[in-house]
Amino acid sequence: MNPTVAVLRLPGVNCETETLAACAAVGLRPLLVQWNDAPTALAGAAGCVLPGGFSYQDRIRAGAVAAKEPIIAALHSLAAAGKPILGICNGAQVLVESGLVPALEPGRVQVALAPNADPGYECRWVHLAADPTSASPFARALSAQGPIPMPIAHAEGRFTSREDGLMEALQHAGQLAFHYVDAAGEANGDYNPNGSALDTAGLVNPAGNVLALMPHPERATWLRQVPFWLPGPWGERRRAAQGRLDLLDGPGPGRVIFAALARAAREHAA
Amino acid sequence: METLPIVALPANDAALQKLLANHGLVLTPAETRRVADLLGRDPTLVELHIFNTMWSEHCSYKSSRAILKKFLPTSGPRVVLGPVEDAGVVRVATHAGKSWCVVVGHESHNHPSQVVPYEGAATGVGGILRDIYCMGADVFGVLDSLRFGDPEGPNGPRVREIARGVVDGISGYANPVGVPNLGGETLFASAFDDNCLVNVVALGLVEESRVVRSRVPAAAADEDYVLLLFGKPTDDSGFGGAAFASVDLDEEDVDANRGAVQAPDPFLKRVLAVALREVLDHLDRAGVAFGLKDLGAGGIACVTSELAHAGGFGAEVDLDAVPVSLPDLPAEVIACAETQERFCLALPRSAVDPVLEIFNERFELPRVSEGARAAVIGRVLKAPRFVLRHQGRPVCDAEVAAVTEGIRHDRERRPRPAPRFGPPAGPKRLELDAGAAVQRLLGSIGGASRRPIYRHYDTEVQGHAVIRPGEADAAVVTPVPGAPFGVAVACDGDPWIGLLDPWAAGASAVEEAVRNVAAVGGRALCITDCLNYGSPEVAEVMQDFHEGVRGIADACRALGVIDDDRAIDGTPLPVVSGNVSFYNQSATGGAVAPSPVVACVGWIPDHSRALTLDLKEPGSLLVLVGERRAELGGSALARLYPDLEAGPPRPVDLERSAQEIRATIDAIERGLVLAAHDIAAGGIAQAAAEMLFAGRHARPKLGLRLDLDAMADSPDVDPAGRLFGETPGFLLEVSAAGLEPLLAAYRRYGLWVRQVGAVRASGALSATWHGRDLLRLDAAELARRWENGLAGVLA
Repeated sequence: MNPTVAVLRLPGVNCETETLAACAAVGLRPLLVQWNDAPTALAGAAGCVLPGGFSYQDRIRAGAVAAKEPIIAALHSLAAAGKPILGICNGAQVLVESGLVPALEPGRVQVALAPNADPGYECRWVHLAADPTSASPFARALSAQGPIPMPIAHAEGRFTSREDGLMEALQHAGQLAFHYVDAAGEANGDYNPNGSALDTAGLVNPAGNVLALMPHPERATWLRQVPFWLPGPWGERRRAAQGRLDLLDGPGPGRVIFAALARAAREHAA
Repeated sequence: METLPIVALPANDAALQKLLANHGLVLTPAETRRVADLLGRDPTLVELHIFNTMWSEHCSYKSSRAILKKFLPTSGPRVVLGPVEDAGVVRVATHAGKSWCVVVGHESHNHPSQVVPYEGAATGVGGILRDIYCMGADVFGVLDSLRFGDPEGPNGPRVREIARGVVDGISGYANPVGVPNLGGETLFASAFDDNCLVNVVALGLVEESRVVRSRVPAAAADEDYVLLLFGKPTDDSGFGGAAFASVDLDEEDVDANRGAVQAPDPFLKRVLAVALREVLDHLDRAGVAFGLKDLGAGGIACVTSELAHAGGFGAEVDLDAVPVSLPDLPAEVIACAETQERFCLALPRSAVDPVLEIFNERFELPRVSEGARAAVIGRVLKAPRFVLRHQGRPVCDAEVAAVTEGIRHDRERRPRPAPRFGPPAGPKRLELDAGAAVQRLLGSIGGASRRPIYRHYDTEVQGHAVIRPGEADAAVVTPVPGAPFGVAVACDGDPWIGLLDPWAAGASAVEEAVRNVAAVGGRALCITDCLNYGSPEVAEVMQDFHEGVRGIADACRALGVIDDDRAIDGTPLPVVSGNVSFYNQSATGGAVAPSPVVACVGWIPDHSRALTLDLKEPGSLLVLVGERRAELGGSALARLYPDLEAGPPRPVDLERSAQEIRATIDAIERGLVLAAHDIAAGGIAQAAAEMLFAGRHARPKLGLRLDLDAMADSPDVDPAGRLFGETPGFLLEVSAAGLEPLLAAYRRYGLWVRQVGAVRASGALSATWHGRDLLRLDAAELARRWENGLAGVLA
């Protein structure tokens, strides 16, 4: 039996359709849950995804208003039960603003997603790598591979904290699960798109089951979504698939994130 | 009969003019007297405001309608709905038993963007999105054609402010709604110093059986139908907006102008779009006949009268039932304000409750956005009357047809004196340093990469992008997940040709847009046009317009639809939607260059064949389709070198274009080509450099060697003509083994085709002429110029 994973639609979210499709692609049963549905809709799920968008118009700060929705309390229960939670882009902002990550003290907001160092909304493809020391199931799924490409699309994606040394401590603890690199896995050129501290692209809670990820894996779930010109093995794969619908409908680099979600969800569905 | 609050019209025209001006109305005294004739009495103030909007150029097409009707082909075997409602609908392909259609609309928001760039551009996007949603479609992309003044000219600081504001407005609206940007074009010319152009195209997807019409359905003859308004609460924003778009722009009149521009709310739009989808699915399941239309120009008065009249009914609206966000709004403001993010449904009274529940309870409109809600505001009348009531009494009571049918003006036309051109080529052109000219072109505001613009647009949301802005001449998406077909779209228009030859402006806009779609392997299904001109009251402008429309029509007939079905193949390319924007001139007199902008929607049966323009491998060869010519009039090179002996503009040869387009689609579908790029502004120099750079963001890994001698057979075509000439054509990358089959494929179409270059592993762009190096440029350095050329404009 495929586990059910909730995809939480907060008002202003705009990636729910492709996120539902990405969940289905890894054998999950995605269930669209709306912000004002009964919290029990979340309680029965084996995991949850918070898709990208502009919840509540990014009023105050991105994710800040949505973090006060009553249904977020149910997310805290899910997180405490060790079920996987994936927040993508605005979903990551909601996780940060509700203290679900880094969750050294669950519920306390210790990290922010600040405006990009080069201000303004930017959409582009980047590469990310996993911290090999991270215990998070999301990071473990990726660490066997080289860097993988994914698009970012945000104006507020720079992980930062006002607490001295916190980001370094999180890195030491393996909670900075994903970081930006170039296609070769190095820190060369403009590989960090937003000036994020310690090149952080994804942050997890101490148990590693809650991931706040700024890049969009659902936009890289099929090979056809990968741009032709991209350097590295995924670009080569894309170019080699010219004229081959069957290959283009095969998996893309971001699917590994959803596969990790599915594996973790299965452990909790039993 | 209840008494109407009549405004007594003075018999004297000067007094009437003064009365109209006092109320901020742009109706002429003569038009106002026609209103009184139609009504059979003097009008009320509300009626004056309604006719002021409905008879504006923006709503009534009073100067353009006859010319559009005379020339443009609008039907065809694939056309489900031509230009009769807010957007056109064409059938694309059947997949899994469903007939999928693309809905396409094209709008301008020029005056508002000149006055308040961010809000003007944002509401331009917002308006065209509503046009697509109200056809029952899901929006899957937007494109924008932008024309700004000269950022380095006398109005430079304001031009740059406008350019930045417009780009921010487009991204600030489309990104939150979750609609990907599929490209467009941005041009800078002093002809737009006083009037920018912001044209937006939006595309949607709908199943053919679920196209929603903007009319009260026939079932209303037997059942009690009501009018349900949903969205943002009505305020006084955009009051007089349509009329504002229909007069010369007086930028000094800041306060009046600002009031005419609406306030965008993309967050609410996203929630409305999702809620509307649930409502449409619910009504479909319940088998309810309904009509849906968005609110734009003319607000509530326009939407309710047009919904009713299109179905053969009348309507009565209670303005006191309209949710408002400001107290004590006058009746004419509630009736005519152009508050954004509103739609109107016509549905049976018995079907109202579940719909209100979806909007107001399930999606909590009043909670997520202050004052937003769905509410019943009126009812459908069997009699063809249009009645508005306010505070217990009628404030408008007219034949519905009188309100909606508009007026016509036959405008005078007069050709401009034909421009005189010297002969092309001459000593000055031979002195041109080709290498320096390529560097200047690629680093120029016109030739530089558009990435500083589209980096701010979400090109990835919805996850269906196959080819993105900057990767090819057209964008390609797969809007139906799992279906093999792709939709290709591009838009184009050349204002410099517009200044030289108004017919060619129309014809070449179609030609270029169709070529762009062909360069990715797409077959044109239809076009839309957005026609931007000065005042129709100027006879020369009317002639420019007439010729532009004639040019579009000629190109549509010459290029035709390309289809596997022989019965369809060769029928004129239909114009399924469009927009006319007149009065693009300022009070100080400057009219924009005649600017017909055309968007082409095409399809690719197998999206895996869709081709990008970046060079793929060293050792492959470059092939030119379309012999180069000496004419450089209106070219990018001539703009950079004003003393150049440019000669006349490139001639338009639609028959040859039609063959080149067919041959190119054929070659791409057969997998004979590695990369394809349309030759346009900047000629081969620009196109070849872009093939080296595209997508790699200033890190070219390959080099390219061009052979100028092979680019034309005639010795009269000098190197400048060969390298920078803008005669339409294609540059193709082909493997060495694939060269002969490709040349043979084009020759079968009777076309001129030559190998003109080779792709190298080294990073240089070089060109030879008569056996010696004419230029040799470091590709990485050239790429940096190209990447940074727009930095000062948009930073």
